[in-house]
Amino acid sequence: MTFLEVARKDLMLYVRDARFLATLGLFSAALVLILSVAFGPIFRDPAHEAAATIWAALFFAGVLGLSRSQDLEGEAGASDALRLTGADPFAIYLGKTLANVLLLAAVFLILLPLTSVFFDVGSLPALPTLLCVGGLALVGYSGWGTLFAALARGLQARELLLSVLLFPSLVPLWIGAVKLTHALWDGGTIEPVRDWIKVMVVMDVLGLALAAWLYESIQEAAE
Amino acid sequence: MILRADAVRKRFDDRTVLAGASLTLSPGDVVFLSGANGSGKTTFARILATLLPPDDGEVLLDDEPVGEHRRAARRAIGFATHQPLLYPGLTPAENLEFFGRLAGIAGAAATASALLERFGLSAFAHAPLATFSRGMLQRVVLSRALLNNPRVLILDEPYAGLDTEGVSALNAIIGECRARGAATLLIGHDRDRAAGVTTRAARLERGRIEAA
Amino acid sequence: MNRNVPDWWRNGAKWLWIAALALIGISLLAIIFRAPVEAVMGPVQKIVYIHVPSAIVTLLAFGIAFAAGVAYLATKQWIWDAVGAASCEVGLVFATVVMITGPLWARSAWNTWWTWEPRLTTFFILWILYAAYQVIRASIRSSSKGTISAIMAVVFFVNLPIVWKSVEWWRGSLHPRSVTMTGEMRQVLLLSMLTWIVFFAAVLERRLRLEWAREAAARDAAARAFEPGEARRA
Repeated sequence: MTFLEVARKDLMLYVRDARFLATLGLFSAALVLILSVAFGPIFRDPAHEAAATIWAALFFAGVLGLSRSQDLEGEAGASDALRLTGADPFAIYLGKTLANVLLLAAVFLILLPLTSVFFDVGSLPALPTLLCVGGLALVGYSGWGTLFAALARGLQARELLLSVLLFPSLVPLWIGAVKLTHALWDGGTIEPVRDWIKVMVVMDVLGLALAAWLYESIQEAAE
Repeated sequence: MILRADAVRKRFDDRTVLAGASLTLSPGDVVFLSGANGSGKTTFARILATLLPPDDGEVLLDDEPVGEHRRAARRAIGFATHQPLLYPGLTPAENLEFFGRLAGIAGAAATASALLERFGLSAFAHAPLATFSRGMLQRVVLSRALLNNPRVLILDEPYAGLDTEGVSALNAIIGECRARGAATLLIGHDRDRAAGVTTRAARLERGRIEAA
Repeated sequence: MNRNVPDWWRNGAKWLWIAALALIGISLLAIIFRAPVEAVMGPVQKIVYIHVPSAIVTLLAFGIAFAAGVAYLATKQWIWDAVGAASCEVGLVFATVVMITGPLWARSAWNTWWTWEPRLTTFFILWILYAAYQVIRASIRSSSKGTISAIMAVVFFVNLPIVWKSVEWWRGSLHPRSVTMTGEMRQVLLLSMLTWIVFFAAVLERRLRLEWAREAAARDAAARAFEPGEARRA
């Protein structure tokens, strides 16, 4: 299946670039540290501050990952070869998005214990729900992010541009992610804020729908 | 006629690169296209390979405009250019298998190793591309172009970096393509290296193609 | 491509500007003299006659850019790229007006320069995205400029309703729900809205004409390549 092949290829390339992975991990960890210091030493609302921290860190880590995802294609012109295979552009998009979701999920799984420890929050019973919330947010982020990263590929300062594009556009997603994470770390339940799940699902679906419509045009706008 | 460019025009902002370039590639053709640096050869090659849309004019595959069935058309074309069009982080075998599977080639792995063997690269099939010399890389590039057994082969500067063995291997493959009825377009400056296989020569000048 | 725009365009533009300038004059007079001074806020409240219409015009501009983007993706005709680019640029200017007049009004009404309420936040996001549009468009020097710009215009606009609603749910709304005005205030506001829309059309026309001139010059220069009569090189 095309999209699995593409996802596998991207993941292989990520995994083989130890330098990139190390940078990504260290950068995310550093962000968590920076924000912990900024909020600390006494945390007034640890659940809230921790939720904000983990999602801020993930956002910036994500920008690096998404940018790299497109750079892999541009490095030696491989994107041309990709187009020449005649493979379905949407399948290529899905493959890249899947690889990005998995990469960001790995970062999330590293940041989770870190944040829990620094802010002294977290609850084991809430963990499954938290992972689902994380998944929902990351699918949306990767979906929109892969689209925008393709748009901004090859441009100077594209990481800066990506941050500028991705945060404002995905505000509904970020608000939802932080609110749900906060609720889970505060009361162990998402009940008071469960409507935000609908918002996030809408964002996820909208992102994928836009990609289905537009990704081929972006891919073909190669020169 | 397999592939034909019909009065293709291309302008980049205020610079006209192609001003009505036409070329016909028929089965068995091996056309060598030369032209001064910056004359638009690479642009023409990319338009012919459906990677770049022309401003005006069209490219036809088997008399059908390529624009309508771009993805199908691409499966009939093999293309190589200055950039490797490969993933530096993968091995040659992985690259070829990946592109082969995406192109829907049955038995991609077998085709890949056969091609690598053809170019004398079997020993290096699982070595990282980053360790390859220019000439070896060029062979992998050509292998990728030949993966889908193309009916039209468009090679932009294919002899660059090849030693005598590589040149012979390439010319042999071009000869085979010709024998099985495929068409080849070679673009470059070193016509002498392709002298043995070329059937027709052309020149891109002032945005148009003339017989040379 | 003709270096000059067609005659009907040129004539229409003249009348458009006359109308715009006349309306600006009339509405300024109306704002100063006809609109009553608001009891609580005083004269500063009259900023609303600039703030609200420019917000509406901003949304109009980006809506036009969205439509032009869709049209360009479907037809790949240059004119749609021109309309989209012109509209985004003009829209950004009006968005800046909104972002300046808003806090001025807010300081007077709510005693704070900024608050994270839906409309302000969404307009801020809008401003950032369309400023990024300018940066990205300026960085692309190739034939894909039109496609990338069109996609940006489409994607940014499509997202707005969701962003708006989300911020509304996130934080209750301090912003007046809808502008409920009666009598003279309402008259002046409607007049202002008309004025700004006509003014926007006039400015858009100018910007579009600039795009036309640019494209005509580029095509002209390109057409002069390989002119007959040049000595053939061997």
